[in-house]
Amino acid sequence: MKRYDLIVVGAGPAGLSAAIEAARCGMKVAVFDENAKPGGQLFKQIHKFFGSKEHQAKIRGYKIGETLLAEADEAGVEVFLNATVAGIYLDKEVLVQIGEAMTHFKADTIIISTGAAENMVTFDGWTLPGVIGAGAAQTMMNLHGIKPGQRVLMLGSGNVGLVVSFQLMQAGCEVVALVDAAPRIGGYGVHAAKIARCGVPFYLSHTITKADGTDCVTGVTIAEFDEHFAPIPGTQKHFDVDTICLAVGLSPMSQLLKMAGCTMVDDPKRGGQVPLVSENGETSIPGLFAAGDVSGIEEASSAMIGGRMSGLAAAAYLGFLSESDKEKRLADLEVALNSLHQGMFAPGSKGKTVAKTDEGIAVSQSLLKKGYLEDTDLERFVHRSNQTDKNSGIHPVIECTQNIPCNPCQDACTKGCIKVGKTITALPQIDDASSCTGCGMCIAACSGQAIFLVDEDYAPGFASITLPYEFLPLPQKGEQGTALSRSGQPLGIAEIIDVRNAKAFDHTPLVTIKVPAGQAMTARFYQPTTQAMEQ
Amino acid sequence: MKRISDHPILGEPEKGQLVSFFMDGKPMEGFAGEPIAVALKAAGVMVHRYTHKAHEPRGIFCAIGRCTDCVMIVDGVPNIRTCITPLVSGMRVQTQDGVTALEVSE
Ligand SMILES: Cc1cc2nc3c(=O)[nH]c(=O)nc-3n(C[C@H](O)[C@H](O)[C@H](O)COP(=O)(O)OP(=O)(O)OC[C@H]3O[C@@H](n4cnc5c(N)ncnc54)[C@H](O)[C@@H]3O)c2cc1C
Ligand code: SF4
Ligand code: SF4
Ligand code: FES
Repeated sequence: MKRYDLIVVGAGPAGLSAAIEAARCGMKVAVFDENAKPGGQLFKQIHKFFGSKEHQAKIRGYKIGETLLAEADEAGVEVFLNATVAGIYLDKEVLVQIGEAMTHFKADTIIISTGAAENMVTFDGWTLPGVIGAGAAQTMMNLHGIKPGQRVLMLGSGNVGLVVSFQLMQAGCEVVALVDAAPRIGGYGVHAAKIARCGVPFYLSHTITKADGTDCVTGVTIAEFDEHFAPIPGTQKHFDVDTICLAVGLSPMSQLLKMAGCTMVDDPKRGGQVPLVSENGETSIPGLFAAGDVSGIEEASSAMIGGRMSGLAAAAYLGFLSESDKEKRLADLEVALNSLHQGMFAPGSKGKTVAKTDEGIAVSQSLLKKGYLEDTDLERFVHRSNQTDKNSGIHPVIECTQNIPCNPCQDACTKGCIKVGKTITALPQIDDASSCTGCGMCIAACSGQAIFLVDEDYAPGFASITLPYEFLPLPQKGEQGTALSRSGQPLGIAEIIDVRNAKAFDHTPLVTIKVPAGQAMTARFYQPTTQAMEQ
Repeated sequence: MKRISDHPILGEPEKGQLVSFFMDGKPMEGFAGEPIAVALKAAGVMVHRYTHKAHEPRGIFCAIGRCTDCVMIVDGVPNIRTCITPLVSGMRVQTQDGVTALEVSE
């Protein structure tokens, strides 16, 4: 039987991070993953991540995955693919199915980082082909280059539902509506706003009552629900769709931990059945650790930190790392983890309604219910600097109004125009004393696509607006299309006056439109004319 | 077009060689190495199997090999998860009906 110092189950961000830290301490490490490709969820995530520099913010998920793989390789980690861990026994022995063969491996420490499985909901017709999980949609379009469908309805407004809706549009699908049974949008407002400005309607307090079709989905009916979860008569809405995408939450895949005999707890805040763990992921069984989504649903950034912590703890457990070194390095990671656990979406705030930001500003109810800021919300949030560069009237407008752990906008501006401060969940502020050159780095760095550059005096009677545009075809200079409002409503003709696609923008092209001066603070998206005709 | 020819972030998808295979006896094309389910999807096939008792259609649901909704008969072997099984030139894929192949009238 093959022996290792550490066996890691699951090669997602948590497992790879754990393996890297442990191997760097000198441990002999094996990682098993059931997939043909390592990286877990990361390889489906093509958007720029939140967080700060130490959490690899503004880097796209799949790029973070590539870096982790290279690091694991360099550290001498052995990664076994198409290798499903089927059992875990006393004395840290695991049974692995590789192809048709069942093989036993043994280690002195084990880290379980098997991630999470998607939840399901049932409704009339839910088993029809065309009803898919959000993860399936991501797998098809981002890994295999195929559209899950042409017209899609998304159920679930958490970050997964929001992010996948945007990605569906990037892949060329039409998202007809975003539906959630909750009365408020669950994910980040900035993610919702990106979709709303493309014209996608949100239906809160609604759910699916029926999927139509005999051999596959041809339509869907939704209805508003009352407080007893009964559909309210007359609120039914029907959509012609070929795909219904479910993004209704994740549950930890903790079966292996249970099988191993770890003490488990039911914790709705962490997503369900999770192991009882110490801060560095040690379970009730000495030498057996859990890291990442399997010990509580969070996100990749915290999964990587959690993984590193349990990797170090496993190394110390076997004496590959001194207690004092372990304490020192864990303390640093603790700080990094804590900075992610602040703000309105912190694990501790789950299910609570937050009425005000940390700054004491009333949150936008429109953002929570419809996915976009109302014009009346702007005064409270949008700081408009008066001071601009001598040569141009360009200045940033930041529409980021919730306390989320994120600050790449601050790092992006070398002119010091944007300040988030030490607490990364604070709302970004514009520093009136600095002058903006219009370089656009802040727009491209913003994970939430919430920054716009506005010049009210672009030409007599006209304003210019620069916005991020991650869609194809990329508009051409001189072309005319339609300016859309935050809610995706057409405002009138917009002319493309500039298109920038620098390497430093990392696939976030910046498009500058010219609109009547009165639309400087209302136009936030551009729709090419051909697209308007198709719909 | 179901395939994504150009993607704003990922560019052109990397694909293997174009090969032909058979779906319920009919020739179809797909890219070698991609999951069978992806080639079927590109060809517009939605139903992968019918359930044993109620004869209800099933298709891709999880796309990562967990739900078994997408299983089909591949080269005579039933219960193959087509979402994680790579396409090979000349493969014979059949709609599964319960645990046997669906009778197709030619
Ligand atoms: C649509 C979407 C958008 C997201 N956006 C963000 C974001 O912007 N920022 C962010 O930080 N996070 C984001 N996340 C969350 C993030 O992807 C997850 O929290 C993170 O991937 C969890 O890491 P993990 O290593 O715990 O699990 P995973 O990434 O799920 O990896 C677990 C791995 O273990 C394997 N495995 C499971 N069981 C076994 C077994 N028995 N044997 C062998 N292998 C097994 C799995 O196949 C998988 O490869 C998003 C998630 C989704 C779905
Ligand atoms: S455009 Fe450039 S100078 Fe202006 S705020 Fe953004 S990063 Fe700073
Ligand atoms: S404005 Fe700054 S803090 Fe807000 S989403 Fe963008 S980068 Fe993050
Ligand atoms: S679609 Fe779930 S196993 Fe293939």
